[in-house]
Amino acid sequence: MSVGLQHYLVVSAVLFSLGLLGVILRRNLLVIYMGLEMMLNAANLALVAFSRFTNNLDGQVFVFFVITVAAAEVAVGLALIVALYRRRQTVHAEDLTCMKL
Amino acid sequence: MTADLLFYLFAACTLVCGFLVIANPFSLNPVTSAMFLVLTMVFLAGLFVLLHAFFLAAIQVLVYAGAVMVLFLFVIMLLDLKAEERRRLKVFGITTGLIAVGAILFIFLNTLAQAPLGASTTPELEGTTMALGKLLFTRYLLPFEVVSVLLLVAMIGAIFLSKKELK
Amino acid sequence: MIPVNYLDLLRLAAPETVVLAGALVVLGVDLLALREVETGLRRLLLLILGAVTCGAAIAWMAAFPNLGNFMQGMLVVTPLTQWVKGGVLALAILTLLLSGGASFTNHWGEYVALLLLSAVGLMFLVSSESLLVIFIALELASLSLYILAAFHHDAPESAEAALKYFLFGSVSAGFMLFGLSLLYGLSGSIDLREIAAALGGPFLDPLLAVAMVTVAVGLGFKIAAAPFHLWAPDVYQAAPPPSAAFIASASKLASFFVLAKVLSVGMGGLEGRAVFGDYLPGWVPLLAALAAASLLWGNLAAIVQTNVRRLIAYSAIAHAGYMLLGIMGGKAGLPALVYYAMTYGFTTLGAFGVASLVRDRVGGDNLSDFAGLSRREPWMAFCMLVFMLSLAGIPPLAGFFGKFYLFAAALKTSSLDLLWLVILAIGMSAVSLYYYLQVLKQIYVVPPPSGLAAAPIPSLPKTVIILAALTVIVLGCAPNLLLRVLAAP
Repeated sequence: MSVGLQHYLVVSAVLFSLGLLGVILRRNLLVIYMGLEMMLNAANLALVAFSRFTNNLDGQVFVFFVITVAAAEVAVGLALIVALYRRRQTVHAEDLTCMKL
Repeated sequence: MTADLLFYLFAACTLVCGFLVIANPFSLNPVTSAMFLVLTMVFLAGLFVLLHAFFLAAIQVLVYAGAVMVLFLFVIMLLDLKAEERRRLKVFGITTGLIAVGAILFIFLNTLAQAPLGASTTPELEGTTMALGKLLFTRYLLPFEVVSVLLLVAMIGAIFLSKKELK
Repeated sequence: MIPVNYLDLLRLAAPETVVLAGALVVLGVDLLALREVETGLRRLLLLILGAVTCGAAIAWMAAFPNLGNFMQGMLVVTPLTQWVKGGVLALAILTLLLSGGASFTNHWGEYVALLLLSAVGLMFLVSSESLLVIFIALELASLSLYILAAFHHDAPESAEAALKYFLFGSVSAGFMLFGLSLLYGLSGSIDLREIAAALGGPFLDPLLAVAMVTVAVGLGFKIAAAPFHLWAPDVYQAAPPPSAAFIASASKLASFFVLAKVLSVGMGGLEGRAVFGDYLPGWVPLLAALAAASLLWGNLAAIVQTNVRRLIAYSAIAHAGYMLLGIMGGKAGLPALVYYAMTYGFTTLGAFGVASLVRDRVGGDNLSDFAGLSRREPWMAFCMLVFMLSLAGIPPLAGFFGKFYLFAAALKTSSLDLLWLVILAIGMSAVSLYYYLQVLKQIYVVPPPSGLAAAPIPSLPKTVIILAALTVIVLGCAPNLLLRVLAAP
């Protein structure tokens, strides 16, 4: 069976789930961010694959913008982590307990 | 045929490296995770090449592997995280997390297997720089401008949040 | 090659351009001219500059009502989007003036600029029908709001709340993007109208169902509907009060509008039915589940809260449940939804204003800190009375008519299919009266603690709170003022 759209989408779905797993299971904020990046990248892969197999460049332009947005988001997110570390000396999700749930 | 083999190679490497980012059995150190994330991004760029998205493959390597990961590593070095590795993981949390994500993945794959996705036309699209560039400055002019504002916000935010308060 | 008419784009995006230019001017003026000026004066000048910018954008929209559609849905300006944008800008003005007496930061240039830039993001969000612009505008608004939530430089809770907001927001963005990619793949387009034409209906393809659920999860985080509300109480409680007020009002208005647009325009044929025994998968059953969860969880959790801002947060989750009813009313429910979201925005903004004044005076915003407010500040106490009763839905205030029109819209379009949900909503708003009255009991019945010296409160926030209360009363007594123009074609 030659490689088609479905194959790429399966890779994308598995990568998305791996990212989500990282976000849920890991307690280190930096690793949680890495999981987030993987989720965005999984969506990117789906977009590029759809774009290729429906002969429509819109998906690729979409990915171009997503990469830019993700870079901006990482910059702000890491700055937030640094700001938190300055005040609380921690990067652990379990230590975010100033307020009760 | 070669393309198919390369697909399986890149896909397997992407997923294995992706797994090692979030659950490395040998080390819980964020630096290792970051390194495997770089590899994931690079193999993904390989998949982009197989999909004829050449421009995006280049951007992926430049922005993710180049810029974003350097940022990650800088912050890891800056914060000097030694004490983090000793924490115990909770079995209950891991089990529920695994079950939840497993269920989501099962639903995804199940629907994908049933979905009528027979790509009718033979793919002939080429994601060259010129094709994308022309679209960017015509049809996608507005999002292009909005994204520039977004980068301005990120810049202000990163500087404001990470600098020390001046007395 | 598609020819681009740059003048056309500038004409349609003029209000956004005005606000953007204002943000840049604020940054520049702060950097070049106001470095040496004393903080209080500098704050006042920058806040007024920001408010004037928003006012100019509103005036521009009123004077030159350019309508049109740029590049197949990239920017679609209709009278309704103009009104929603006007609402976002009005809320931005009030938020800016509300910061008049605040002292949580010294970086007023950055604060005002980020508030204006997030307003720009919300405006683009309101007036686009392209998945790409919606995603980017949502990220622009969210990124600015994350930073605004972390603006309290001395308080560790502020940074922590912002980080939680960021984490939940990013996960939701990931979900939403994955859903958007599936939508694009299934329809071959990123324009909402073309997507609706390609998808057809009324039967739901399984992969499309996944796309719909992931997009709803993504936007459900933004509107703080249960079970995606976990960030809201922390952010409302710990962010600087004006930032929290803006997140609770303007951001909510725009997010609800875009959710309604994505569902009713982009998936117009896929409503489905949420009736026992006659169930058809689609987005109405999905939203009905979210609405029921939000109504129950928001109202019941609000009862046990001791912090007023946290209480407002849980009541906001409940109100998200009411507003979801309006979305289920389809296109006919849109004016009712916008009316409700706007009046809710003014109400909650005013309530945050009062809470912030109390916090500045007493040092906290727990329920007990409000004790005897009526004796210290009779006017502020009366405004809080108006806000709380409007939130509870007591006539003749705006909250009552908002709820009335929402329920009517939900029942009219669905031919009583949603009766069970409307009954639940009415029952839950009776429950909500209990915790709103708790706040009022503290204000009017409990005697004030002794030893609080009288201190003048800053006039700018006071004016804003009275203005918001007046709006709630006027729009409640004459709802047709706003509803008629919203429903005009």
